[in-house]
Amino acid sequence: MCVLCGQDFVAQAHWTDRYVEDRARAAGPGADPTEYQRDRRRDRAHRAAVTNQVLACYGMRVKDWAGSKYLLSDGKGNSEIVQDLGALWAAAEKILGRPLDPLDPALKERMLDGALAR
Amino acid sequence: MPSPGSPTKRPVTVVTGFLGSGKTTLLSRVLSDPSMSDTAVLVNEFGKVGLDHHLLRRADEKTVLLGHGCVCCTTRDDLVEAMLGLLDEEGRGEIPPLKGVVVETTGLADPAPILYTVFSHPVLQHHYRVDRVICTVDAVNGALHLDRNAESTKQIAAADVAVLTKTDVSDAGTVDALRARIRGINPSARVLEAPFGDVRPEELFGDGSTDPSGPRAPAVDLGDGGHVSETHSTSLTFDGPVDWTAFGTWFSMLLHARGEDVLRVKGLLDVGGPGPVLLNGVQHVIHPPDHLEEWPDGDHESRIVFITRGIRAEEIVDSLETFSGLIGARPQPLESDVRV
Repeated sequence: MCVLCGQDFVAQAHWTDRYVEDRARAAGPGADPTEYQRDRRRDRAHRAAVTNQVLACYGMRVKDWAGSKYLLSDGKGNSEIVQDLGALWAAAEKILGRPLDPLDPALKERMLDGALAR
Repeated sequence: MPSPGSPTKRPVTVVTGFLGSGKTTLLSRVLSDPSMSDTAVLVNEFGKVGLDHHLLRRADEKTVLLGHGCVCCTTRDDLVEAMLGLLDEEGRGEIPPLKGVVVETTGLADPAPILYTVFSHPVLQHHYRVDRVICTVDAVNGALHLDRNAESTKQIAAADVAVLTKTDVSDAGTVDALRARIRGINPSARVLEAPFGDVRPEELFGDGSTDPSGPRAPAVDLGDGGHVSETHSTSLTFDGPVDWTAFGTWFSMLLHARGEDVLRVKGLLDVGGPGPVLLNGVQHVIHPPDHLEEWPDGDHESRIVFITRGIRAEEIVDSLETFSGLIGARPQPLESDVRV
């Protein structure tokens, strides 16, 4: 952990983050550090929006936390800070008490209801 | 030694295959080829110590014998150590620059942890990349292994290249049946024949098989009749470009919930860019997805195959259908399930 900014050093970017992260890393020293920042923030915002549509079916939501983590919370005041989608589903399972299974037929109905409500 | 950020990572080839299926014979033949002289070989012994090791004469000097039995469960650290050791020796100039590393697994090993080791180790991930998984299948006893052993099915599911060995002592009918069965389990794998372990290294390690192959055969479902009938393969495409971020959300969720049962995923996804995304994963272990500059051939449609255990093709398609609003495209099975 960095004592100045409170961030963990992340040795391994999750595969869902690789596209943006790898391009930023490949740019290397001397490159404009802000060049990929807009892409990265847009990607994170989009990921949070998409994931929220799924999490809404379980009474949870996620938001981008300072562009470095995601903050997962439910309506009862539980919250968890996660690094990426890999950790998010595990944290959501912990809060919910059961795994969130995309193959669950009940999820289909809830997602359809959610889409109609929007 | 190339710098840590070097784009030329050393390719790692994992050779797997059931006990007695001819991994060592295949390797000893292939490694005797002059083009393989700078390839290091890591073998793993299970039982009789060093027996296989002595057979791999060509690679003797660079062979690091991993102790403690099975690579996947107990000697992952040894694998790390062995691979770091090779980097050290290369850096000190004690061995010529490595062209690649071949890791031979035990007959009962699950290749996924080896891939995971290479992808996740803070040093190894910058120096090595997993090039391919080769699985040897015994043409005489292969069907029996598949009937009796779940590991055998997992190994074929994880493979990029399946090599049929002992075809010289097997009749054509058996070979054809086994070939069809391998295709049924893993439509994305290339199937080669190696009578007496003879196969050209360029065929095995050449660029031909790194092509980001999608499913090559129609979806085949093994049905519910046989011993390994729990394995299903689902080949599908999408009716338009998919939203890569949303697909990642769906797939990471699936892997979290059912990762153990998703034996393999491989394919090309049209994400609306100039080239597709190459997706390749074995259980929880996903290769870093490769956003290609251009399509490898004229067919610009997504094609992806899921090999699952206990998850039916309809469940995958149904789930993708549910998420189609987010993903931006609807799944289309490439062909309805065929039972074999």
